[in-house]
Amino acid sequence: MTILTGKAEARRRLQPDGHGVLRKIWEHRADYAYVLPAIAVMLIVIAYPIYYTIELSFFNTPPGLQLRDKIFIGFDNYTAILTSPVFWTVTSNTLIWTLGSTLISFVLGFACALALHRDFVGRGLLRAILIIPWVISAVAASYIWKWIYHSDFGIIGAVLVGLGLADRPPNFIDSVSTVLPSLIVVNIWREFPFAMIMMMAGLQTVPDQLLRAAKVDGANAWQRFWHVTFPHLRNVSTVTILLLAVANFNSFIIPWIMTGGGPSNASHIWITHIYELAFGRQRWGVASAYSVLLFLILMSFGYFYVRALSGNERKDGSA
Amino acid sequence: MSTIAETAPRGKARRRMRIDGWRWGGRIFLVFMMLYTALPMIWMLITSIKSGFAAMQFPPQWWPDQPTLASYQKLLDPQNSVGQDFLRFFWNSLFVSTATTILSVIVAVPAAYAFSRFTFPGRNFLFFAVLLRNMFPAVIFLVPLFILMRAIGLVNTHASLVLTYLTFGLPLAIWLLKGFYDNIPVQLEQAARIDGATRFQAFVLIVMPLSTPGIIATAIYSFIGAWNEYIYAYTFLSKNEQLTLPVGIQRFFSENTTDFPGLMAASFMMSVPVVVLFLVLQRYFVRALTEGAVKH
Repeated sequence: MTILTGKAEARRRLQPDGHGVLRKIWEHRADYAYVLPAIAVMLIVIAYPIYYTIELSFFNTPPGLQLRDKIFIGFDNYTAILTSPVFWTVTSNTLIWTLGSTLISFVLGFACALALHRDFVGRGLLRAILIIPWVISAVAASYIWKWIYHSDFGIIGAVLVGLGLADRPPNFIDSVSTVLPSLIVVNIWREFPFAMIMMMAGLQTVPDQLLRAAKVDGANAWQRFWHVTFPHLRNVSTVTILLLAVANFNSFIIPWIMTGGGPSNASHIWITHIYELAFGRQRWGVASAYSVLLFLILMSFGYFYVRALSGNERKDGSA
Repeated sequence: MSTIAETAPRGKARRRMRIDGWRWGGRIFLVFMMLYTALPMIWMLITSIKSGFAAMQFPPQWWPDQPTLASYQKLLDPQNSVGQDFLRFFWNSLFVSTATTILSVIVAVPAAYAFSRFTFPGRNFLFFAVLLRNMFPAVIFLVPLFILMRAIGLVNTHASLVLTYLTFGLPLAIWLLKGFYDNIPVQLEQAARIDGATRFQAFVLIVMPLSTPGIIATAIYSFIGAWNEYIYAYTFLSKNEQLTLPVGIQRFFSENTTDFPGLMAASFMMSVPVVVLFLVLQRYFVRALTEGAVKH
């Protein structure tokens, strides 16, 4: 039995020594009891699906779920995807959606965090209100905004017509050119609060002494922000941006409920497209191949995410 | 920007001017964000108290001529079919979310503690494997899980949802809780050990009570996640009486596409439990979410 080791000890990377890994594992057998339930659940519901998805991606699958009749076709599903024009539409939509949503959410959230960092009357209430969109269900949010954008009775269209900026209400989500930006506005509405929360916590870690010292040295507000505050937030910013990017890359509900990927694929992103392929057209093999590609892309995201978090684990906090 | 004008030295007027510029810029920005955040929700509420006819006016009425709570009465009335369905969806959501939350906490607490305190072979690998689960979208697992659930006869049961939601909830729960345990001084346990407690006793008697805020925050997070989950509920459930709120509402309104007040009332009712839960306990929640990402 080990006795408790300190945090610093716990943080040290394990280096298998001459005693052999197996013996070490045996010595720590009591530790595994604590993590076993979690690992078991995750193995069943995560590892198996990943394996199965990879397997299916190499097969031509029949519609319906009689998957015993699948035929091995090697990489044909992958070549079919990469040569299809829809793939490029969906990929560019996904890029616009992910980059646009992530960057604007982050900037707005960060600006809110900065503006809320000083004490004023009603600050707590304001913060709570700003966070609400992030808490309510994406399905509710989709319906609310669908109603706001409604091409006959939508409030935005009515305001634009009332101000004389439009002759008739625009078709925000029924036209190819405006559907993606319109959905990104909804997505930002739902997730800038997340960036705000993260950055607010980050701001609390900036040492006051440093800011005061900078002030004494005659740095103006902008210089203080740029040379003192911002470097301290580099790590939090990295983690926040990565989490937002992954969440956006994986969004499904907003495009699915609001437009179903239409009009003519203009708002299909990878995830909605995969869902459509699998459960709409029952092309399990192609959908699985898409999932594997997605998986590879996310793994590269994951690499940076883990690196950013490991940077956090270090005492100095600089990545 | 944060420390501007806290105690602006009474010196150059020009400097004060610039400080005020920053301050007012921040305020104007906050007002703008406030409108962006609140107006859609206000419009949802205003629409929900209109009659179906009043909602379909152009230009819209900013405030209904005759506000009515009919939409809410309809949703909450067990006597008619709409109310029956809505209340059933509500209980289904409540059941699934509560079960998920309890199981998540039970499984995540010991695992997070182990990741925080012990050094067993494979610890880092396992921890990052857990974190990586956050990277993957639900859709990737959907087809194989659907087939798996069918094979073990769980399609069309709430158990299939609870089991699935557990896998989303666990990584985040473990991550949040580990942040809390990292901040509990290890000396407390060491003292308990010296007094003769076993490692497990020290964990249950000393550490668990101290991490109650973390457990509450984790529970809220799991609950909100399960309450709002859509894609699995949409795929795994087909029987009307088993649907959860997000899917149930979607089914219902794809049939009644023009009942906008009803839809807005339902969206509001669906949001109330999680928003109230969040507002009551937001202090824990905001702290917990950032413990993992930001080391104090």
